[in-house]
Amino acid sequence: MREVGIVGVGHPRFGKYEGSLMSMLCEAAVEALDDAGIKTGEGHGVDQVLVSTMGGSQVNRQTGVASALVDTLNLRPAMAETVENGPASGASAVKLGYMAIASGMCDVVLVVGGERMRVLSGWEATDFVATMSHPEAEYAYGLTLPSFAGMFTRLIMEKYGVTERDLAMVSVKNHENAMFNPSAHIQLAPKLEAITEDEDALTINPYVAEPLHVYDVCPVSDGAAAVVLCALDVKERFARKPVKIAGIGQATDTHVVAEREVPTDLFAVRHAAQRAYDMAGLQPQDIDVAELHDAFTILEIVESEEVGFFPRGEGHLAVRRGETQIGGRIPINTSGGLKAKGHPLGATGVSQIIELVKQLRGEADGRQVKDAKAGLAVNFGGFGNNVVATILTREEE
Amino acid sequence: MEREMIAYQCIQCGELHHPLHYVCRKCGGRDFEEVPLRGEAKLLTWTKVYNLPEGYMKPSLGFGIVEFENGLRVAGQLDVPQPKFGMKLISTVDVVREGVGQDYYGFIFKSQEA
Ligand SMILES: [Zn+2]
Repeated sequence: MREVGIVGVGHPRFGKYEGSLMSMLCEAAVEALDDAGIKTGEGHGVDQVLVSTMGGSQVNRQTGVASALVDTLNLRPAMAETVENGPASGASAVKLGYMAIASGMCDVVLVVGGERMRVLSGWEATDFVATMSHPEAEYAYGLTLPSFAGMFTRLIMEKYGVTERDLAMVSVKNHENAMFNPSAHIQLAPKLEAITEDEDALTINPYVAEPLHVYDVCPVSDGAAAVVLCALDVKERFARKPVKIAGIGQATDTHVVAEREVPTDLFAVRHAAQRAYDMAGLQPQDIDVAELHDAFTILEIVESEEVGFFPRGEGHLAVRRGETQIGGRIPINTSGGLKAKGHPLGATGVSQIIELVKQLRGEADGRQVKDAKAGLAVNFGGFGNNVVATILTREEE
Repeated sequence: MEREMIAYQCIQCGELHHPLHYVCRKCGGRDFEEVPLRGEAKLLTWTKVYNLPEGYMKPSLGFGIVEFENGLRVAGQLDVPQPKFGMKLISTVDVVREGVGQDYYGFIFKSQEA
């Protein structure tokens, strides 16, 4: 099978975008093409374009987004598809791009993820995201993703002794990391005491879905991110040295959360990561840096256990010991994570992979993990019913 | 009108499902029989949510996941002042979401004292 790498990345700042979904996607795409040294116009060499977006049709009322993007960027007659896999759409699109190249059908694939969500109010956004839950058994009750995260957190706290303060520590770490990431939505780091112990902590940091607070939940962000994938056997065409896609794994779990056999496990995270490790021929201890899907702080902790960084029930102890900070044993969410960098659904999986590319290229500036050689990203859809894990490695000379 | 919630029992192996599956999650069978889903349930976990989707005119709402005596676990709304792990609840069926022209009925779990 052909090997595949990433030769270009584009990541404009997440936050509030004033233009259209299309112009937002184009900005990220052009930045990635420029980074790869691909000239637009005749002879661009892009064989396939994949666009990941969850709400393009439902929120922005635009369908056939990839077909429109190809023409707007004058990349005709490249193949084009729009990919929807909930909040895991981004990593799914990269996976499909990988498959297109590995199969021999394409040499070069452009993947662009994007979401323009800030046209919605906060509760409209929550309601939109909730449409991926079960229509009768969940959505009809008013159950939302924060509701499931709250109920999950309460179980984990009871079983393993995780505290609200542990969750706040994850949040503060990720906000501090985002201060070094110019692409991050939120560039203000709270003090741990201010959101946990101080007299007005509950005013600054009220409950959203008990026991989760505002600082445990990702913001609503607009944003787009793009990568250029290529076959390693054509890498000479590009301006940048590729970062290799060493492994990809994906797994699904029950749609209805109440039907999970072990309600404190994230089965699909475990299986997706295992498949990615197997494909890459690597183990958890080989990973130097990780982007884990922290739409809710509890998820970063439990995912860090499911991917094998820490024993079950001990992820929060590692947070207390500082092992997941930059400079710690296994830095997690150096980009700021979904919590501080933002979570524009369809862009998130692509954005996580871009952070790994920057770390493996040694271009992560103030948040650089020293001598990072291998990185793992976990992109989490639904409440864990569809998860994609991606492992990237630095290509040695 | 009396509303009732339904579980779907696999005719081949007896496995209970709620909501309806097309294929039995245990044996792969495809035929199900409807049985009433009601009675006492045990509270497994819960939350109180403050940012509610469209259509709810209240500041917060309780939700829980419970286990019925037959072993089925389901999520529903929770109307209990002080929830505790493992507490016994009664399952009631009422409007859980008001829709345009159609209200949605579902489980609202309440404490037994009430
Ligand atoms: Zn069966």
